[in-house]
Amino acid sequence: MSNPLAVIRVFALVLLVFALTMLVPMIVAWAGRDAAVTAFQSGFVATFLSAALLWLLTRRHVDELRVRDGYLLVSLVWVGMPAFATIPLMLYLPQMSFTDAYFETVSGLTTTGATVIEGLDTLPFSINLWRTGLVFLGGMGLIVLVVAILPLLGVGGRQLFSAESPGPLKDTKLTPRMAQTAKGLWLVYLALAVLCTLGYVWAGMGWGDAVMHMFSTLGLGGFSSHDASYAHFNSPAVEAVAIVFMTLAGMNFATHYMAIRRRDLAFYWIDPEIRWYVGVLYASVLGIAAYLWWTGTYPDFATALRFAAFNTVSIATTTGFANTDYAQWPFLAPMWMLFLCSFVTCAGSTGGGIKMMRAIIVFRQVMREVVRIVHPSAVRTVKLAEAPLPNKIVFAVLAFSFAYMAIIVSLTLLMVFSGLDVVTGFSAVVASFNNTGPGLGEVGPSTTFKSLSDFQTWVCTAAMLLGRLEIFTLLVVLSPAFWRK
Amino acid sequence: MERLLAVLNVMARIALIFGLALLLPIGVSWWIDDGALGAFDEALLGTLGGSALIALATRRFRRELRANDGVLLVVLCWVLLPLIATAPLLLGIPGLRFVDAYFEAVSGLTATGATALSGLDGLPPSLNLWRTELHWIGGLGIIVLAVAILPLLGVGGRQLMKAEVPGPVKEAGITPRVTETAKGFWIIYLALTILCALAYGLGGMSWLDALIHAFSTVALGGFSSHDASFAFFDSPLLEAITIAFATISGISYVTHFAVLSGRSLRPYWRDGEAPWYLGVLLASVLLIAAYIWQQGYYAEFSTALRHAAFNTVSVATTLGYASTDYAKWPFFAPLWMLFLCSFATCGGSTGGGIKMMRAVILYKQVFREITHAIHPNATTFVKLGGAIVPNKIILAVLGYGFLYMLCTIVFTLALAASGADIVSAFSAAVACFNNTGPGLGLVGPDSNYGVLNDFQIWVCSFAMLLGRLEILTLLVVLTPAFWRK
Repeated sequence: MSNPLAVIRVFALVLLVFALTMLVPMIVAWAGRDAAVTAFQSGFVATFLSAALLWLLTRRHVDELRVRDGYLLVSLVWVGMPAFATIPLMLYLPQMSFTDAYFETVSGLTTTGATVIEGLDTLPFSINLWRTGLVFLGGMGLIVLVVAILPLLGVGGRQLFSAESPGPLKDTKLTPRMAQTAKGLWLVYLALAVLCTLGYVWAGMGWGDAVMHMFSTLGLGGFSSHDASYAHFNSPAVEAVAIVFMTLAGMNFATHYMAIRRRDLAFYWIDPEIRWYVGVLYASVLGIAAYLWWTGTYPDFATALRFAAFNTVSIATTTGFANTDYAQWPFLAPMWMLFLCSFVTCAGSTGGGIKMMRAIIVFRQVMREVVRIVHPSAVRTVKLAEAPLPNKIVFAVLAFSFAYMAIIVSLTLLMVFSGLDVVTGFSAVVASFNNTGPGLGEVGPSTTFKSLSDFQTWVCTAAMLLGRLEIFTLLVVLSPAFWRK
Repeated sequence: MERLLAVLNVMARIALIFGLALLLPIGVSWWIDDGALGAFDEALLGTLGGSALIALATRRFRRELRANDGVLLVVLCWVLLPLIATAPLLLGIPGLRFVDAYFEAVSGLTATGATALSGLDGLPPSLNLWRTELHWIGGLGIIVLAVAILPLLGVGGRQLMKAEVPGPVKEAGITPRVTETAKGFWIIYLALTILCALAYGLGGMSWLDALIHAFSTVALGGFSSHDASFAFFDSPLLEAITIAFATISGISYVTHFAVLSGRSLRPYWRDGEAPWYLGVLLASVLLIAAYIWQQGYYAEFSTALRHAAFNTVSVATTLGYASTDYAKWPFFAPLWMLFLCSFATCGGSTGGGIKMMRAVILYKQVFREITHAIHPNATTFVKLGGAIVPNKIILAVLGYGFLYMLCTIVFTLALAASGADIVSAFSAAVACFNNTGPGLGLVGPDSNYGVLNDFQIWVCSFAMLLGRLEILTLLVVLTPAFWRK
């Protein structure tokens, strides 16, 4: 631990920028003369002053951040920023408890998309813009996190990804690399944002809705400005646009960047994850469509395909939009969708879960064990994109996947212990931990997380943060060894 | 092909011995004249005749077995012996279908204890004896499998046990080693069975029931001669005896052997897993007793403790008796019990699940990753029972743990897809895969597996076999690489 105060200084700067983003909904609220103007004004002032104060107190501690400081910074940002983001929400909705407001903003910034607010359609435009804006900001932060910071920290085998992302790999210094890599990737993110907005408008959305849903789509979040989510639009064109951009956002942004910069689509083929990602995703769409048609849920295959495609892609990419109450489908379909969301998205995207990269490594390691029994003396390595993986990374990936499953089991037990039925408890944990959004049962796509008790809401909040920070980032900061000199 | 015939020859000779096991129920049936004598006689003739014929026909292919042949032999034993075991059931119970009979026999030989039969009290006693005798024979086989064969194959890190087993370690041939190590364990197994039967008999069971339940208890199976299982006896003394013997049977036979040969109880303490096993078991009993008492299911703590102790130990050790319908308890309790059965028993016992040894290694590896994150250059070790676990074994264990969870998910999806509700599907998958027995919901302790459809019964049979053969043994035989020259 070099110097916690230096970390707080950086955090203060991040918070300062974050405060500035509150100006956008504030101006929108002022221009549209909706009732949330004062809420955003107070929110902005409070956040800005807190950040400035923090910065003043720590401004002398200008140290180069080391790898270990990264854990603290990342945890601080993802735990601290949602607390400030609650201010406008709580001021505008006075009956809302801090527990619920914090859940909502964590859900936004972790790009989860689970909500506790009912009656979204009646909220002022600025509040919904703020909610979905959090998802967009969370997505931008995530790109830095997953592409630039976590690989350096080596969380759960993330070292692997550092090799592929552009920019020089400097030994232990954190900041230069962040700036370097983030810039190119943000450009891709913004370009996709523009295209996605235009796509939605072309498909028939109003500009306001288009921007908000673009925010949600690219961050793979899932917040909507309508209680009915995409069922409100009931438009195959809108759904098609959403499917395309969700699929794109679920790919590694570094790959997008390389493909655009070199003007060569071959990068998508070279990427070891993308063919698996696309293959598994669309095979599942066809499988679920056929299953729905076969069980008679929808009378013709075309309708089944439309609903299967939108909801499956939405859940599997950890977005969480819905255009029908898919929890009413024969149970295998929603179960399979939840299963997908735990591993389908690519590393380096804004999606959640263990990521396709790790799934492939775990799968190959298991195959390696099988081969070893047949040929006990054979020397075999786990390969990815033709290159053998060091055992150290295989280790980290396996331990990560194991910790991932152990946490799902433990948190589910905790939810059931507090009195939930098992379907709600399990699906709420899976949906929060994978940063997907809607679960099943009481927290299904047609309802919200509002029915949960305070304790259960906090469990879900913790799950979202743990999932987003890839478990170990948070666990490391919580371990006593981290704080020892 | 030559290999298959060589193994088939050994297989036929094992079947010959297995056929002789029918003499016990024949004797009992003759003695009490319960009307099942004809069924057993025909089964005995068929088995002896058939296996003698195969043994003679494949006589020319006899040779020393190699490691790969061992895998095949083990798989054939566990798949084909149940076929033979179905004969008396099919002949003695008119109207029993083959699916159910095979399920029952697999459940017997894998020491699972899930039954597809109802009206057990009305069956000829000799048939009930045959059912639990299958447990007992299966238990013998499991000890040999777990202590002598799997370590040689290195299934999921089983090599760890190799070092501890007394006797010379030969890498090439299996047979000398099997006989060597097996003998000591069989004596312990036999002694435990006799003690258990005596205790049950003196505790108030009829002697035949005592023998039936002793077979079942020591093998951690779970078949009973009464539909009501242990609720039939309603005797705290008998329950205490069961708890004692189930707990003992869940500890590694290697450790028992060390204790007996050294005449000191210290190996229990120094063993890497027995203290964890006992600790987790005791803590869970107290936790569940307190929970169901606090939730008001039982008025008095002593009653809660009695039922919590019996059912928790029974399910956690993968035995599967019930003294009450614990599925009616607040849902956390049975869920916790199912969770326990997936890892509580020790490696080298007759229990199922991933075994405590692997659970401890997985747990320690996760903490090692956290240490790695804080001190990237530190050299750390995972220790078990004071010895360092080699990385190769940790990798195997991690791969195994992952495969195990994946199988549970796949079985749950398969059962859910074929129409079971989620609680029944998940609990049936867990209960069969861990060789425990009763699940929850449709297949709860007061019901039986007869309610499932044919496809689901086959899935459950397969799950029991896969769980018992520690997944990889069975998977290896199904890979093309295994059959290549």
